[in-house]
Amino acid sequence: MEFQKLPPVKEQIMKCVRCGKCRSVCPVFEQIRNETAAPRGHVFMVGMLRDGIVEPKQEVYEKLGNCLLCETCSVNCPSGIDIHELNAAARSYIYDKNPSAGKELIFDTMWTRPGFLRTTTMLMGGVQKLGLQTLARNMGLTKILPGDMPKAEKIMTSVPTRSARKQIPKFNRAKGEKKYTVGYFLGCATDLLNPEIAKATVNILTHFGCDVIIPKDMKCCGMPHIANGKMDTARNLMAHNVKIFNSYNLDYIISDCASCSSALAHKNVEFLLGGLKIEDEAFKFSDKVMDLTTFLVEVLDIKLPDKNVTKKTRVTYHDPCHLANAQGIKDAPRELLRRIPEVELVEMPGANTCCGGSGTYSLTHYDLSMKILDKKMDRAMSTGAAKLATCCPSCTMQLKYGTVRSHWDCEVVHPVVLANRSLQQSLVKK
Amino acid sequence: MDKAAVKNELVKMLGHEKVLSEDLDLMYYSYDSSFLTKLEPANPTAVVMPRSTEDVAQVMRFAFENDIPVIPRGAGTGETGGCIALRGGIVLDLSTWDEIIEIDASNMQVLVRPGVIHAKLNEELAKFNLFFPPDPGSSQMCTIGGMVANNASGLRAVKYGTTEQYILGLEVVLANGDIITTGGMKAKCIKNVSGLNLTKLMVGSEGVLGVVTRVRLRCWPKPRARGIAMAVFDNLDEAPAAVLDVYQAGILPSGIEILDSSAINAVNSFKPQINLPQAEAILLFEVDGNPPGVEFEGNIIKEVVGKRARTVEWSTEAKRMAELWEGRSITATAAARVKADGSRIFAGEDISVPLSKVADTLRQIRALGDKYGIKVVNYGHIGDGNVHTAPVINPENPDEVEKVLQLVDDIHRLAVELEGTTTGEHGVGAVRRQYAELEHGLAVKYMQGVKDAFDAKGIMNPGKLF
Repeated sequence: MEFQKLPPVKEQIMKCVRCGKCRSVCPVFEQIRNETAAPRGHVFMVGMLRDGIVEPKQEVYEKLGNCLLCETCSVNCPSGIDIHELNAAARSYIYDKNPSAGKELIFDTMWTRPGFLRTTTMLMGGVQKLGLQTLARNMGLTKILPGDMPKAEKIMTSVPTRSARKQIPKFNRAKGEKKYTVGYFLGCATDLLNPEIAKATVNILTHFGCDVIIPKDMKCCGMPHIANGKMDTARNLMAHNVKIFNSYNLDYIISDCASCSSALAHKNVEFLLGGLKIEDEAFKFSDKVMDLTTFLVEVLDIKLPDKNVTKKTRVTYHDPCHLANAQGIKDAPRELLRRIPEVELVEMPGANTCCGGSGTYSLTHYDLSMKILDKKMDRAMSTGAAKLATCCPSCTMQLKYGTVRSHWDCEVVHPVVLANRSLQQSLVKK
Repeated sequence: MDKAAVKNELVKMLGHEKVLSEDLDLMYYSYDSSFLTKLEPANPTAVVMPRSTEDVAQVMRFAFENDIPVIPRGAGTGETGGCIALRGGIVLDLSTWDEIIEIDASNMQVLVRPGVIHAKLNEELAKFNLFFPPDPGSSQMCTIGGMVANNASGLRAVKYGTTEQYILGLEVVLANGDIITTGGMKAKCIKNVSGLNLTKLMVGSEGVLGVVTRVRLRCWPKPRARGIAMAVFDNLDEAPAAVLDVYQAGILPSGIEILDSSAINAVNSFKPQINLPQAEAILLFEVDGNPPGVEFEGNIIKEVVGKRARTVEWSTEAKRMAELWEGRSITATAAARVKADGSRIFAGEDISVPLSKVADTLRQIRALGDKYGIKVVNYGHIGDGNVHTAPVINPENPDEVEKVLQLVDDIHRLAVELEGTTTGEHGVGAVRRQYAELEHGLAVKYMQGVKDAFDAKGIMNPGKLF
């Protein structure tokens, strides 16, 4: 759809009264500290683009791109403007006029082909294992990487050598009485970087009565593409995933990843596919999508085996923006943690402030991302927790790097992994 | 001096980190929250983000020598175009120069830089059981510097007054780069009648006399309890009468807010779950103090207002108070809901009239709205006669824009006619200066004389105030 005719662009820009509420909550503004980083400034600039007062040039992309798309502004906007959608739409509009071969390679060639992406990532894991990453770093070879990548490659700590897909079958039968058939939307980052989350997810779901199907042909949720101005590609990916998942008879479509579940949720599906032919089919799909922790707590209402735990582990929880802001889900992950006998949940101040990871933001805006991260780590460390739980692979990667930066001996872990550990220990004891 | 030369000089003076001068960057400083800048955004020549008084003084000396306008800016939340470089010039973005220099709890005062955010200041003061009472609706966003420049107030002005009552002294950089301290060079005292009161002159001067770089604020003990009464009226005239009854019963509430029927409808259509009763007006009375006193005053309000209102509900319970207050707090946002493709605009939004004329004012504004075919939502601080009017239009429809500008002009003139003023707390800026003669007559000449004494070259925030 033409940029100027996209619903948020057409209907929402005029609603901005520039009250500045967004400025007061934006983590990027807090660091940059001038109006060019204010979300209302982004709304203003999108309006300038729409009206042709500003040309869709790369320098405008750079301004709009300096935003985490964390949606903190959108949820706080008194006028109800989806500022992140306006920003994403404008990025895409500008990108279309200023395409880059590098982005085409990453987002169109690699990130639309799961096999290709898997092979590349596994190769990266191999490189790390052989110590070549450290060697390249020491020889200064990483400095030839584009943008902030020479600094940011450090964030990519350890890439497993086997993806989740290589370790988990496509069909996984419910243990005991079957309650539901669920499709597991196994996102790229969980698959390639955090297979232990996928294994825990499947274990827990099957243990509590779900047949779990991981469709072979599913692709990326499209969130990285939206953030990087590749909205058409995101649309195609979404349409593809809709068809794949709708070909199964599923009760729910579950995702352990905050970004994936937010990308697949009704609001974003409407943003990408609203008004198109596939809309009805897409809503049928998105209405089944549910975040894993919400499903475990609210639908399955799981109870982990009770046990006498003499010393509980202090765990603090970081709200991923794509869960807390984009979907309003704050209670379910905490409730899941509370149901784990070994866990003592302690709140950190500002648990719902962004960690600065935001998918590829830490790779493109390393220094700013680190400032945001350091603040987050100070808050998390103030709890004295031994574990830092979160539900997003991007946050996980960022927070893991945060523990390294702040010399904090703390495991960054998905709540479902802790739940599964507790369950497995109980099963072994039996 | 051309733009490039201004940029080069500023960068040489302050370094790249404190100066913005790329065309694209400057566009972000072309707006505030006013309707004026939605219609006509205006870019500055450069933006400077000072971090010391000397930074400001250097910029002023440079601007003075080269006749360049200088426009101080806070968080850009104003509704009057007051911080906009209408004729080019250097914008001083003071909004992130936000150091709390000293909380002097033993003397009940605090010393701050201009960029401190109101809500953050009160968060810090709360640790000492203190607070800075003026309470603007934009507390989370607006800066102390902006509040000083506009003599801002808000919901609790009825009891606590406006910003000026809390300023003990200011550091101000003048147009020629001179740095003065008002209220005494070293004074930290509460009572002070020494010298001409330049502090009061500076407060509310909207940046036309100088740049405020440091503020000494008086703080008050933080009240330990609050209570809220919601009164529902079938007859609009009874609402201001009830306010007067409360005053005459010896009660001075910390806030008295009104929603008229247009605001009630807007709130209900925005959030039906709030379900405000249909009425000609709803009043909210807030009282604060110590718990027994709050309860005592609440009971009197209930009794006195109950004689005129259909119902009065009183609560000191936090959850219920939040619910009662919610309708008022979302009104500004909810206003847009009265028109399908509508957007609330900030224009003609801040008139103030005598309490005895509030009901008449609201009726006349409604009639003016009907005359121009524009939906108008009314609410505000009835305790001090400060009416917030929210016209709702499609700002991208030129016909509606033209009509709303006429409506706004009529509203401003109505306020003056009813023995009020065009602005109670938001300021004059660029959007109400045309009423200066109407409101002040010959006094404007003397205002200009004062301005000339401080700013002989007229470089301080030109095109504002009068």
